[in-house]
Amino acid sequence: MTVEKHLEASCLKLALERRHHRVLTDISCSFKPFELTAVVGPNGAGKSSLLQCLAGVLAPTVGHIELNGEAVEQISAAERARRSAYLPQSETPAWSLSSADLVALGLLPWGRPADRERRVAAALQLVDAQQFAHRPVTQLSGGELRRVQLARLLVGEAPLLIADEPTAALDIRHQLQLMQNFRRQADAGKTVVLALHDLSLAARYCDRILLLHDGHLRAQGTPEDVFTPALVGDVYGVSCEFRWRDGVADFVPLDLL
Amino acid sequence: MLKPGKFVLAMLFAALPLALIAALVSGPVPVDLGAALSQGWHSDSSDAVILWQLRLPRALLAILVGAALGMGGAAMQGMLRNPLAEPALLGVSSGAALAAILLLYYGLAWLSGWLLPALAIFGAFCAVACVWMLAGRGASASRLVLAGVAINAFLSALMALALNYAPSMFAMQEIVFWLLGSLANRGWDQLLLAVPFILFGGVLLYCARNYLRALSLGEDSAASLGFRGRRYPLMVLLGIASAVGAAVAVAGTIGFVGLVVPHLMRPLVKQDPGRLLWSSALAGALLLLLADILVINFVGAQELRIGAVTAFIGAPFFFWLIVSARRGQQL
Repeated sequence: MTVEKHLEASCLKLALERRHHRVLTDISCSFKPFELTAVVGPNGAGKSSLLQCLAGVLAPTVGHIELNGEAVEQISAAERARRSAYLPQSETPAWSLSSADLVALGLLPWGRPADRERRVAAALQLVDAQQFAHRPVTQLSGGELRRVQLARLLVGEAPLLIADEPTAALDIRHQLQLMQNFRRQADAGKTVVLALHDLSLAARYCDRILLLHDGHLRAQGTPEDVFTPALVGDVYGVSCEFRWRDGVADFVPLDLL
Repeated sequence: MLKPGKFVLAMLFAALPLALIAALVSGPVPVDLGAALSQGWHSDSSDAVILWQLRLPRALLAILVGAALGMGGAAMQGMLRNPLAEPALLGVSSGAALAAILLLYYGLAWLSGWLLPALAIFGAFCAVACVWMLAGRGASASRLVLAGVAINAFLSALMALALNYAPSMFAMQEIVFWLLGSLANRGWDQLLLAVPFILFGGVLLYCARNYLRALSLGEDSAASLGFRGRRYPLMVLLGIASAVGAAVAVAGTIGFVGLVVPHLMRPLVKQDPGRLLWSSALAGALLLLLADILVINFVGAQELRIGAVTAFIGAPFFFWLIVSARRGQQL
């Protein structure tokens, strides 16, 4: 089982059409190891679609995606699954599996590794969910289920982690814990891409921000570069300010524009 | 110490050979099982003929058909992520049934013991191919079901038409009895015809077990886990068409096994759609064998049809399901 530890992902001139509606237009961006990237933008900006293209769930209409310089079309589906792990915005388990069994599904691309149980336990520990390892997932609250699903994302060895609004449904403690987790994953050399709505969390934990608007990439760069009241105000249609204190940003929306 | 789920599975496994022996001693004529067995396949004694040419193929067919129906149901529920799905949803049964009915309608079934089941398997494949093409590229589960309902409705209309214009009362009776499902008067011919298809279907479904597991997270997550494209759904559909199509072809339409058995087995395998496949095959085999023993031992003017027996098992099961759902349990 050889897995590349580091992985660079690039989207080149990506466009996506669904039912004659342009969801993404001309997006070029790349994601590097050791980097935690947040994809932000208003509802319907195309965040989820971009993440789905990157994860191989959707195929872009135009343009292509490369993993470590290799076009994804050249990579088998199984190999691609070993390179990137993805958590969709909403994932409803069909059966009442136990939390531990649901997490173990994240190891499917690697067959049945011998240390499966240890890895599952470790992943559950990461998201503070070891206490309901044996509870059926249908008996968990929304936030608890989300944490178990995050453990499913983290249990494998994929060097590229993609999560769509992972902090939604989580309480503030687990939001912070989760972002710290993703930060640690990035510091360990993984490439992490998250879609986020909370701009304060994005500014505080992420190295890079992609700001999407109407399927277009409006800006990309460090949080300081992207999160300016003028740019964010224009994209979201609100007046706002960012209060920076020791590298921690406070995003304060003021009023509708 | 075995866990409760594994213990029940082990019991089911142990019950199967016992049920097989029970099936071999069941029948209107008492047979000395030990003597008949030792006399062997080629013996001309009546006991040996009854055992080797009548009871053994019938019992093995019950096991095979039950296993195919159970496994097909488990695969169907796994693929559609729906505990109420059954193989018939895809038109497998009605495709096979229509082909068989047309043959009975034109009175051609007697030409060869092979003709009817072979044509019925062909019918099953045609129906599933129609559903697959109607659902179109990248079809979601709900679109597959919709296509299945459409094809099923059309095939049922054709079957009703065939019944309506049945050339004789005799043909009509034959059609109705075939639709009720039966294992009576089936021999090695039918068994040998069904075996390769059911085995092939079983192998396909077994190969798709990880796809079914990944699907418990949803189609997007399954795609991100490496189960992308049309290959895996096609594998499951082909597997169901082959296994269930062959089962229906030799035994007629036997309802409820594919629906009820996976439901009963799911808690025993910790809801794992992968292990559900073989455990449903095991339980389906046992259920149909027991139902057939009941049929054999039922004394009446008319032969009791096994499809009627399974329907009687299926209906109370749903009552139980409703009662437990009302008590607030998970469906």
